[in-house]
Amino acid sequence: MLFPIAILLHINSGQIDLSFSDYFPQDLSNLSTNELLAREFRIPRLIITIIAGSGLAISGMLMQTLFRNPLAGPYVLGINSGASLMVALSLMTGFHLFETEFGLIGAGLIGALLSGLMMMALAFRLKSQISLLLVGLMFGSFTSAIVSLLESFALAEKLKAYTMWSMGSLQQVEFSQLPVIGVVFILGLGLTFVLVKPLNLLVIGEKPAEILGLNVMQTRFLLMAITALFAGLITAFCGPIAFVGLAIPNLTRILFRSQNHTWLIVGNLIIGAIFLLICDSFIQLMEGRIALPINVLTSLIGAPFVVFLLMRKIK
Amino acid sequence: MIQFSQTKIGYKKTLLKIDSLDLKEGKVYALVGRNGVGKSTLLQSMAKLLPLMSGNIRYEEISLKNLSRNQMARLIAFVESKFDGVEYLSVQDYLMLGRAPYTSLTGKLRETDKAFVNEISTELQIMHLLEKSTTEISDGERQICSVARALIQETPIILMDEPTAFLDFINRQKLLELLIKIATEKQKCIVLSTHDIDLCLENQLTFLIASHGKLTLENCRTKQELVEKFS
Repeated sequence: MLFPIAILLHINSGQIDLSFSDYFPQDLSNLSTNELLAREFRIPRLIITIIAGSGLAISGMLMQTLFRNPLAGPYVLGINSGASLMVALSLMTGFHLFETEFGLIGAGLIGALLSGLMMMALAFRLKSQISLLLVGLMFGSFTSAIVSLLESFALAEKLKAYTMWSMGSLQQVEFSQLPVIGVVFILGLGLTFVLVKPLNLLVIGEKPAEILGLNVMQTRFLLMAITALFAGLITAFCGPIAFVGLAIPNLTRILFRSQNHTWLIVGNLIIGAIFLLICDSFIQLMEGRIALPINVLTSLIGAPFVVFLLMRKIK
Repeated sequence: MIQFSQTKIGYKKTLLKIDSLDLKEGKVYALVGRNGVGKSTLLQSMAKLLPLMSGNIRYEEISLKNLSRNQMARLIAFVESKFDGVEYLSVQDYLMLGRAPYTSLTGKLRETDKAFVNEISTELQIMHLLEKSTTEISDGERQICSVARALIQETPIILMDEPTAFLDFINRQKLLELLIKIATEKQKCIVLSTHDIDLCLENQLTFLIASHGKLTLENCRTKQELVEKFS
């Protein structure tokens, strides 16, 4: 119900008023200014916002179920840090492997996957989940130190490009890139739906799940891979967006009062999208007065919410 | 039903050596032994959660090595000493997970599966708990739910790692009576590890004594007899 309202809010919160017909041009070869604006800015921004919100929420849900910890998420577990580090490397040093336009995405994906694999290797060595989260935070600090080091050597122009990326933005995506993003997203989502049964089993723990016939190692790997895919894709295109992956899955569980992942996946898809649509609508509305980066806004809302969750748990 | 032959069990180093031992259906075995003697390791090795050091275990003539994860799931259920419950996981959803070895990729239960869940819930008198969250019920109720889930898994063998450890003395006796009833009526083989010697003696369980790196089957009737076997 809220979802279509959020979409309407989002497309109507831009600086220039567009009519509904501008989104469906009659003649593709001869677009009016407004039609061009809709096609090149509004539609890509709308779609990437939905994909980013949904994707981050889903990847957070996968990590929370895998680690059986409501504080897990792509951000806290250092998957975003890995992506950031690789993007920083490719933007600020001469990493020729990643020079093309899709190089940035490649860098983000590889960074996310590598840090995902590293955390996975550690996860099976460290029994306590608190120590895993601590390692994730330490990894985050470590990578940001390396990024700072890179920044101090970087040229002003490249430094600016990285700083802009790191504040997060939903405006960088072009219409022509949407099919690739869409296909990767749908692929990841399809894989997630296939894993509903393993996810439901993991809720009661890895050992009981194994007794019930689950191939735990294979499931762990698939879940990490999907998370890295989502988080890497979104981080590469939109920069780091904090707290969506951490807060939304918790909110979804509280609202749905269920551990059935069929519903949790659907819930995270919709609630994640709505949340980011509202955030980005707000940013668009404020655009005349202040330029609010998306990462700043999600942190402003997300951090207090997570504190609230913790208080609830401790009580 | 369960046959050990020249089995060596351990983790990094051998803890127990079992030359030859036969466990039968319709019985509850009490696995006893001092801390660190390898009771948990034995149970986990039997469930194929840990590899055997050497030798073999056979279930109804099939070697453990040749059983896939899913075949194991239809053969052995495992009850841990404590299930803490999971927020927002209802008892019903928890019990339904017990059918996982029989459901397809989607994990959806057929009508016969649902009927079986209801049958066991009725039998164990936990119908009134089904709608509740697994975190809202008492430790005793949760332990009965764990047993119910193991029964719903419909396996000929049930292994239990100190299932009475966190229960009060009335719930302990209740649980044990229930297990004996299940073992005889459904012809299952139940092995439970425990430190609750008195309880096992009162209920005349057959002892599996793990001591000095060996596992032996004993029919002790008094505590004195049992203590002698340990030394």
